[in-house]
Amino acid sequence: MPADFAHALTLALLPEAMLVGTAAISALVAALRPGLRPDIHRWIACIGLVGSVAACGLILLGLRHVRSGVAITVWNGGFVVDSFALYIAILACVAALTTCLISDSAVRTIPARTGAFYGLVLIATAAVEAIGAEREMTTLFVALALLLICLVSLGALLKTTPRGAVSSFEHLIEGSVGLAAVLYGLVILYGTTRSTNLTAVAAAAHVAPGAVGLGVALVVVGLCGTFGVFPLRQWVGRVATNVPAAAAGFVIAMSLIGGGAALARVTVSGFGPGVGVWRWLVPIVAAVALGYSSLSSLRESSVARLVGHLISTQAAMLLLGLLAFSTGSRGLPAYGVTAFLSGLGVTVIAMLAAFGVVAMLQVAGIGDGLDDVRGLAHRSAPAALLLTVAVGTLAGVPPLAGFLSRILLISSAADTHYGWLAVVAIAASVLTLIAAVRFIASLYADAGDEVPFTLGATPALSRIVAGAACLAGVVLVVLIQPLLAVATAGAGTLR
Amino acid sequence: MSVILSTIVWSPLFFALIALFLPERSDEERARVRTVALAGAGVSFFVTTFFAILGQIGLGQGGGLAAAYQENHTWFWNFLFQAHYDLVADGITLPLLVVVTTIFGCAMFHSWKIHERVRLYVILVLLVETAVNGVLCSSDFVLFVAFWGLLLVPMYLLIRIWGGEGARRAAAWFAGFQAVALALIIATVVIVVVEAGAQSSDMTADLTTFSVTAETVGFWLSFIAFAIAMAIFPVHTWMLEVQTRASAGVATILSGTMLLLGAYGMMRISLVVFPAAAYYYGFAITGLAVVGAIWGSIGALRQDELRRFIGYMNVVEMSLVLLAIGAQTSVALVGAVLLLCGQGLGSAMLTLVSGAVEDRTRTTSIRAMGGLVAQAPRLAGFWLVAAASVIGIPFLAGFTGDFMVFAGSFPEHRIATVLVMASVIVITGGLLWVANRVFFGPVRDQFVRVRDVTLLDLTVLMPLVGAVVLFGIRAGAVIPVIANGVLEITTRITGA
Repeated sequence: MPADFAHALTLALLPEAMLVGTAAISALVAALRPGLRPDIHRWIACIGLVGSVAACGLILLGLRHVRSGVAITVWNGGFVVDSFALYIAILACVAALTTCLISDSAVRTIPARTGAFYGLVLIATAAVEAIGAEREMTTLFVALALLLICLVSLGALLKTTPRGAVSSFEHLIEGSVGLAAVLYGLVILYGTTRSTNLTAVAAAAHVAPGAVGLGVALVVVGLCGTFGVFPLRQWVGRVATNVPAAAAGFVIAMSLIGGGAALARVTVSGFGPGVGVWRWLVPIVAAVALGYSSLSSLRESSVARLVGHLISTQAAMLLLGLLAFSTGSRGLPAYGVTAFLSGLGVTVIAMLAAFGVVAMLQVAGIGDGLDDVRGLAHRSAPAALLLTVAVGTLAGVPPLAGFLSRILLISSAADTHYGWLAVVAIAASVLTLIAAVRFIASLYADAGDEVPFTLGATPALSRIVAGAACLAGVVLVVLIQPLLAVATAGAGTLR
Repeated sequence: MSVILSTIVWSPLFFALIALFLPERSDEERARVRTVALAGAGVSFFVTTFFAILGQIGLGQGGGLAAAYQENHTWFWNFLFQAHYDLVADGITLPLLVVVTTIFGCAMFHSWKIHERVRLYVILVLLVETAVNGVLCSSDFVLFVAFWGLLLVPMYLLIRIWGGEGARRAAAWFAGFQAVALALIIATVVIVVVEAGAQSSDMTADLTTFSVTAETVGFWLSFIAFAIAMAIFPVHTWMLEVQTRASAGVATILSGTMLLLGAYGMMRISLVVFPAAAYYYGFAITGLAVVGAIWGSIGALRQDELRRFIGYMNVVEMSLVLLAIGAQTSVALVGAVLLLCGQGLGSAMLTLVSGAVEDRTRTTSIRAMGGLVAQAPRLAGFWLVAAASVIGIPFLAGFTGDFMVFAGSFPEHRIATVLVMASVIVITGGLLWVANRVFFGPVRDQFVRVRDVTLLDLTVLMPLVGAVVLFGIRAGAVIPVIANGVLEITTRITGA
């Protein structure tokens, strides 16, 4: 670990710096050469993302001999680069890289603003990376706000219909309400504990339990909004439906990673077992969210919105992992955070796969309604297969990776005396399973438009990447152990 | 390193992946797709049969050998519990594997009768076979659930796409019941991995540290789940719908393999993992078996639809298996496994024959049929062989199983055994009455041009006849193998 502060700061911020620097280069190139081919910007962004991953790898290399899992700490422990932060950073970069590779068709609709699109992707990724490393509430809020602005701008930038612009505006309003709740909560916490550092807040929580409880509740509810779960979850469906699929996948994925990282940092690492409010509030939010989202998925008539409901259900399922963070029923360490992090990875990949396939359908001129994809297998068997795997993974259809991640989450919750929540989660899983089965049946069993189509209109690279993301839903079932090993390392530093 | 079990489990999937990339525009191409699928089912069947014979020698000789084949690799370990890719074929699994791979082979021959969307059909059947073989071989709870879950979507699509009138509703019933069963199995597995304290999801791990509450809850959750899968009264309605509305090939898979899986799960999990609760509630299980047998036999007599009748017959047969599970003696349990083999083969055969009859007569009504033996004597012969096996005629598959279940259950539950026997007599009468109505009596004018079995029918049915006869005349060779597998169950129950 570098002793010199300047070196430490440089190294700690290297992954983010790579992204911001690349975004600046992209902006510069866009300003100097406005007519440049869109894919030049894409490759610049990809180089930045690969560079960021390489920087994370460099830090991981240094982490090999550090038993605590913490590589660098700066600003009095307010910014910590540890295994958890690196996991989040790499996951965000993978999501962004996937988006860059599958968004070609969407970006072609805005040739003049391609640089801005990829710049926003890079800055949003940097914001998520920063959120993963934050233990200081003020900067955490700033990073969350930056993320929201980037994501809303992305949605607005790619709007193809007036509804898209409205939807981005609604996302902004809902996100702002969530952030306002976070901000009010932080203010109350600062007012009572005289600190903005999460660890210090937890230590001083006993000073005014009522006020601290209110502050914690507001922070948790606000962050749940970013995470895409009840009560501030409507934006997920709207973005999924109205923003072009390639970008919608990125917007929701980044929000999920950022919101999840912030929730994990704030609850598990920050408040911990000392502040009890979140430990009864999160289960309630999770139970209501599971019920609401899974029931909503049953009566959905749009593919993208169905994917949105499935994402919300999966996000609520992930909350189960956060609750199981200390010790299990037999006094052994709980593995909830491991399940949370591995589940987050699986969810993000499944989500990108689903939106990737929907994007291909959009390019082929297939609508978003369930009626549009009815009998899809008759028209394009590969498209139906990809959509089946993607939605199946997201819905937890056995034996795909989403199913396995749900088993891990549910068992970790049951191990930490949240048996009732495990029962709710199993019931919600049945509902999403039925929704997925009905959807899959409509692809294969129903008769629909008989005009065949191919996915050939979508660029080959986009098809390969979306297909690979779908395949990951299958492959991760076999190769879950490496993901769990990395997640365990991340969870270790969080506890 | 042995890969025998992996070959049995995964070869259908491997061939399904090959079939996925084959075109199906012409009859020739469709035939190629079917042949590839048949090869998948065939590899599974031949490997199973060959190694079952070898395994039978090892297990039949005893000497402390608990499993003929085992493959064990750690799947994941950075978690609350370790999970393993653990495949085991013991004395219970081996004969059941032979039965299911035989039935899937026949189902694949039957796919020559499917002319629409052949590729999707065979891929789905191969997926179901992978799942069924996987469930039978799994010795890890997570692996077991994963394979069990794999059944749901392909089976739903098979019922819905190739079913007749009302198939959509039947598929919905199937999905609803099976989703609930899956949820209950997941809940059971969660209880096991959390409460047992073994930090492993290995089915053979020492799971003796359950609290009374955990044991009771776990037992009932697993029992209800597998009762749904077995189609035991009162959760049998889905099976009747599917049996009646699905295509004959799909209904064959259902009645020949899926019901068997439920009974297998009940023995493997409800009895082995929760032996104390199983012993304590043995009387309740037996009561349920009696009610189911009576309900099934009375229901069968009221049926006019041929395949619905077979559905009710399945309810009675499964109640017989449940009687053995309630009795929990080694003789009864060995009989139950033999009975499952006989029931699987017999019921599959009856379903295929009734499908053939329905195709030829264009009706499903028993009363509308009659006198078919004059035009289709071989078809009538197949029906009678299958019925004889199910009834329990000596030298056929069902006989030894029936006898051992009754002999093993009678000392434990005398009245219940007598009542179930009475129900079996009723269903026997029913089967003979159906045979009489459908095949004998005066020839009806509309059926004078009915064809007898074709070469394809013979190809589909003859392997089943062979298996029924083999299990009947060589029961003495199979019993020591099954007894070896049942030993673990009875040891656990005695220990509890």
